[in-house]
Amino acid sequence: MSAALTAALALGFVATIFSLQGDPGFGAVRLGPWTSWPRLGGLDMDPYARAAVAIDGSLPLGAGEGMAFVANADATGAALDSRCDYQVAGAALPARFWTLSAYDIDGRLRPNPAGRYGLTSASLLRAADGAFSIVAAREARPGNWLPLGGKSRFVLVLRAYAASSGAIGDAYEGLVLPAITRGDCS
Amino acid sequence: MTARANRLDRAIDLIPWLLAALFGGVAIHLVAVLALPDLAPGSAYRKLALKTPVGQVALLPRAAPGAPGPTFADPFAALALCRFDLTKGPMRLRARADGDRPFSVSVRLADGVIIFSANDRQTPKGRFNILLMTQAQADAQDLARDNADTDQDASPAEEGELRLISPGKAGFALFRALSLREGDYEAAATGRSSVECAAETTPP
Repeated sequence: MSAALTAALALGFVATIFSLQGDPGFGAVRLGPWTSWPRLGGLDMDPYARAAVAIDGSLPLGAGEGMAFVANADATGAALDSRCDYQVAGAALPARFWTLSAYDIDGRLRPNPAGRYGLTSASLLRAADGAFSIVAAREARPGNWLPLGGKSRFVLVLRAYAASSGAIGDAYEGLVLPAITRGDCS
Repeated sequence: MTARANRLDRAIDLIPWLLAALFGGVAIHLVAVLALPDLAPGSAYRKLALKTPVGQVALLPRAAPGAPGPTFADPFAALALCRFDLTKGPMRLRARADGDRPFSVSVRLADGVIIFSANDRQTPKGRFNILLMTQAQADAQDLARDNADTDQDASPAEEGELRLISPGKAGFALFRALSLREGDYEAAATGRSSVECAAETTPP
């Protein structure tokens, strides 16, 4: 009987660890390379999402604050790697304000020589129609440059603050997020 | 034939053992998942809020490489939090937006559930005045206000007050002041000085 108990304990803990890998719970919404979890943090958050948030120590945005979109791959599905350059290009987002930052896969900002860890919608150079193009790279680039640190996989997080509830929130239809295109790799 | 029968008998004998292990494993898995939000040592509540005395405002350091703090923190967000414990009475939270910088408030329970969040464009003049209480405390306040003619202790609602009923007694409020660009962070961080968090002085 003790062998069955030991097996049950092992099975239960392995299943718990395995189930908390990857996406934080259910209800992910995917828009191209970007993924969002609209119910993360909400009252209707599922138990797996609650456990995942507790373990990683993050503070997800509340629905009234905004929405976060995470990308760990480019438009082709290849994992983002800071040894490569990436173009992040798109049009104006239906949000009052947004920020874009790069993290390591554990959610920590990486040191970089520029000492800058993100860009905001208020600081971007844009075309007359509001379109923008950002280059995420380790080396400095003219225009909208998002410095990358390290030489390994990374994650982009786009946060749309005070987003228009008609476009972001319950309804994602018609929402177009920036495209992520890989450039040269070193 | 006898050896095969013996192997079959042993396999059949294992079935109850396997079922016990399987159901036990599922039960342990479910209990672990449900218990993690309250027990995980790395949760935001345990790592950040529990270090702050109830009713005091803590200004969190800016997200930077190597800096402690929540994972996936926005380097443009200046955060402040205050922990609440409604066991002894309601808490009042006040804050206001600073200029054009986006400002938001969220109220979170110890298990990570967000029971309220709003930004400064959703409140009058960008001001937040939240009276946080349990359902029992709200019922007592309503009763006191119904009897206001005879009960001198009944306190009227403040102008612009939002009464928020919390399904849990412990948690924290998070205040988020956003800097518009790289050099704007210090100014945004200064805007956190408007944050107040205190036990309600005239409990219902």
